[in-house]
Amino acid sequence: MRNRFRSGEAERSEGPRPRAGSPQTLDRRAFFKLSAAAAGAALANGLTPPQAFMPVQVAGAAETAGAPAFRFAYISDSHLYSRELNDRFARALLRAVDDVNAMDPQPDFVFYGGDLAQLGQVHELELGASIIRKVKAPLKVMVGEHDWYLDMGRRWRQLFGQPTYSWDHKGVHFVVLMSVLERDFWTKRRMTPMERMLTVAGLDNGVQSPFMVGRDNLEWLERDLRGRPANTPLIVFSHSPLYKLYKNWNFWTDDAEDVQAILTRFDRVVVIHGHTHQMLTHRIGNIHFHGLLSTAWPWPYAPQGMPELTVQMSRPDPFNPNDGCGDGEVLVHADGLVDKVYNLWNRSPITVARGYTESGGKECVPPKPNRPGF
Amino acid sequence: MSSNARRAVAGIACLAVVAIIVGCAQSLRSPRKPEEIVAGHMAQWKLKNPDRADQWIEEEKERHKIQPPADNRDLLKGEQAKGHAYGNYTERDILIWARETEKLVVEGSRIFHNAALLGGTIGVSCDMCHPDAANTHPETYPKYQAQMGRTALLRDMINWCIEHPVRGKPLGADDPKMRALEAYITAQRKGVALNYGKH
Amino acid sequence: MSHTRTLDARLAGAIVGAVLLEAVLVLWAGTPAAEGAEAPVGQHGAAAMDVQLEQLARLLPETDVGQAPAGFDPVIWAAFVPKDNELTPQRVALGRKLYFDTRLSRDGTVSCATCHDVTRGFTDQRKVSEGVEGQLGTRNAPTVLNTTLLETLFLDGRSPTLDHQATMPIVNPIEMGMPDGAAAVKAIAGDAEYQKAFKEAYGREMNYEDIGRAIGAFERVLVFIDSPFRRFLQGDRKAISADARAGWDLFNGKARCMTCHPMNLSNPLGTDNRFHNIGVSARHQDFEELAARALTVLKSDPSEKKLEELALSTPMGELGRFMVTKIRSDTGAFRTSILLNVGISPPYMHDGSLPTLWDVIDHYNKGGEANAFLDGGMEPLALTETEIDQIVAFLFTLTDQRLAADNARQIAAQRKAARKSRAFRDDDLAFRRKLAFEDRVMGDKSPEK
Repeated sequence: MRNRFRSGEAERSEGPRPRAGSPQTLDRRAFFKLSAAAAGAALANGLTPPQAFMPVQVAGAAETAGAPAFRFAYISDSHLYSRELNDRFARALLRAVDDVNAMDPQPDFVFYGGDLAQLGQVHELELGASIIRKVKAPLKVMVGEHDWYLDMGRRWRQLFGQPTYSWDHKGVHFVVLMSVLERDFWTKRRMTPMERMLTVAGLDNGVQSPFMVGRDNLEWLERDLRGRPANTPLIVFSHSPLYKLYKNWNFWTDDAEDVQAILTRFDRVVVIHGHTHQMLTHRIGNIHFHGLLSTAWPWPYAPQGMPELTVQMSRPDPFNPNDGCGDGEVLVHADGLVDKVYNLWNRSPITVARGYTESGGKECVPPKPNRPGF
Repeated sequence: MSSNARRAVAGIACLAVVAIIVGCAQSLRSPRKPEEIVAGHMAQWKLKNPDRADQWIEEEKERHKIQPPADNRDLLKGEQAKGHAYGNYTERDILIWARETEKLVVEGSRIFHNAALLGGTIGVSCDMCHPDAANTHPETYPKYQAQMGRTALLRDMINWCIEHPVRGKPLGADDPKMRALEAYITAQRKGVALNYGKH
Repeated sequence: MSHTRTLDARLAGAIVGAVLLEAVLVLWAGTPAAEGAEAPVGQHGAAAMDVQLEQLARLLPETDVGQAPAGFDPVIWAAFVPKDNELTPQRVALGRKLYFDTRLSRDGTVSCATCHDVTRGFTDQRKVSEGVEGQLGTRNAPTVLNTTLLETLFLDGRSPTLDHQATMPIVNPIEMGMPDGAAAVKAIAGDAEYQKAFKEAYGREMNYEDIGRAIGAFERVLVFIDSPFRRFLQGDRKAISADARAGWDLFNGKARCMTCHPMNLSNPLGTDNRFHNIGVSARHQDFEELAARALTVLKSDPSEKKLEELALSTPMGELGRFMVTKIRSDTGAFRTSILLNVGISPPYMHDGSLPTLWDVIDHYNKGGEANAFLDGGMEPLALTETEIDQIVAFLFTLTDQRLAADNARQIAAQRKAARKSRAFRDDDLAFRRKLAFEDRVMGDKSPEK
């Protein structure tokens, strides 16, 4: 069986790089994280919060990886209504943009993970566009089902272009794959566009079809990746997770195996997805999956099908509409593997380091929640 | 038709066309609230399906998985029923019980998934944080609810959620909507052991 | 004509009756001076120690330290008395003596009672407190009333128990200014009465930790929970006004107070003992630069003393709980204040920046102050003027009836001040016409509709 994992020696043999934690690579947030050593001082009542600060290189990482080559920020799943109707969702998206703009140094780009609007209405999409375009760094966006099913993506394409595309950045090949197509369930029911949208908008609504990438996008992906060497650092964004977690909530892509088959020849692939509004980690062979946080609300964890690798986040408090939500960063290593940082509002950030998925969950284990999940 | 009459008809027709154009423009400009959209949805469905008004139960069950009530057919067994006025159950009894119980639960599901019916003012419905009523934990009540600073029953927490995350007006304890919501939320936890006070 | 005469008679009778009623009320309420409002002012603005002791004797004539205070859940009470400091009359008496003893300060002018003055709500009703040589700190002094139920002490929670907290101001250079605990012990070691009292209370030689324990024991008996609101909770609907009842409904509902300020018969305090960033320190300065600076200092000297200095004497104190835990999400977070007797402990917030309860509600009504660490539970509330008045009316019912005169004075004074100025009000934010973070992100224009 081919060894898909690069050894520490192989990494180091590529020459010295500035390590995370040395002054010239520190951004303000990482600087705070170094205080883990000093955290013992004067803690009242010995109440050490369970998810205290962890440096990016968590204990046990044993420096197999070295420092990340660059980072990008993400914001996802804002589900906007008009601000007159729902000020809370708009405020949360503004807060996320404020967070990202306060990063120092700025990330290489900001990625928006889909579901900008709640019901795909023009005023919702335009409100969202006006806010996310205020990020200082370059912006890349992905479409979600809430953006699509009112007018089948017409307004989205006018605002943001084609939903499936790719680009290269610092040696990494990025792909944005439209993964929330659905087989037509609306025509035979003679649904209006809004009825169709409302059906898709219900997470637990069984009338809709499972998500899929679809034949066209699969062929596009094959063509896009053709000829690229197997060691190409490859990061794929999709709105739905490109595996089958829980069909009832469309935490699911029906042709996931077909996508995985196209990706299997690469040494390692990272798939980053939205839709699930929670901390989520999985690995299938060479593919490392990471979920994005929502700004609007957190989903509970599925009753079945949960990947073993996922260390769940503690149950959010409904009093705080920002709890369980947030934004984050992805620290990209030269080989394409990532440290996924969840910047949870009013909680300590949690990092799912590359060593965690690389070791199958044995090293760099993120802190466990202090209460049973959902 | 006289020329005057023709002119009159033409004038009215023009006015009508203008009115239609203006009306369409209006609806394009001002965003409709989700409550209006959902109510319109229901009205349209009813218009299209006048003969299926009684099938709201099946429609709702098609949309959302709902736990069925307990199977009571064991009560049909046993010898004592023959001499027992109140204990002489029949298949029809069991069917009626099941159907009636289910109606309240399914009605609860309808309200649970509908911001307008909940009375919310920000377009948020329960299923947004609680798909299939996940994470509602009805089996843990009564318990001290930290958000409320006091001991609560399930209906108190439902009302708290209606007031805060949903931004609606709390329901009266005997409001039919409250009863239906409690029924649906409890039903979805069928089989989980009662453990009151568990946080 | 007889008709008019009857009316006149009735009117006259009504006026006489009203005058008589007022006289009765005035006599019953007592005159303000009797409760020490114009008590002779001693050092640093506090009432003289002997005046305070007299007042204390009036407020708390006798305490059966063996039992939970009246109306207090005995199970909860017992759980909060530390095992190494069970309450005895000797310990409480010793603690009382120490609490008022200015010898524990470097220049002999400051005691606990200077900033936690019996005549001023057991706080000092000043924005920030004054210590030796007139130095001003950066923190508003919380009241010591009812502190027995707190899980941590100081508004950043850096002290785990009352007994420990009591030892800290004594060695704080800008408060009581003693160089260390040994100096404090030395200051009173020669006093034979103290030597006897310590032996009786703790069965050992006087030492600094026991000074803290004794003061803690004394503070534990300062339980003042007998407010009109408590009687309302126990079933007397008339105990508070209709406005206050409406305020209580708002407190539980629209105003969203209850979650961080829970009040029930088991826990009457009105604090969740947690730390929240509600945006008060965000009005001061840039957090993130301060936090980075704080980490540098603490890495070089993580001892308690340096932390103590930093917390009170530099702007880093504004980082609040972060200074203790170094956890990013604790930046700018302070412990939820006790609401019992809140009416008599102005000004409000950790920096004393909000002069009246009306200002406090204005602050919450607009959703606090946007900053990167704002607690998401802070939302704009859209409270109307009437609703704000009702909540304030409710808050003033949380004062123990023994302190009613001070409470009444505060109501009048705060109402007068609030009529003149409501500096923290922002109706655009409160009614969600403008959104938090909007200015920071969008600049001057609001997002397209």
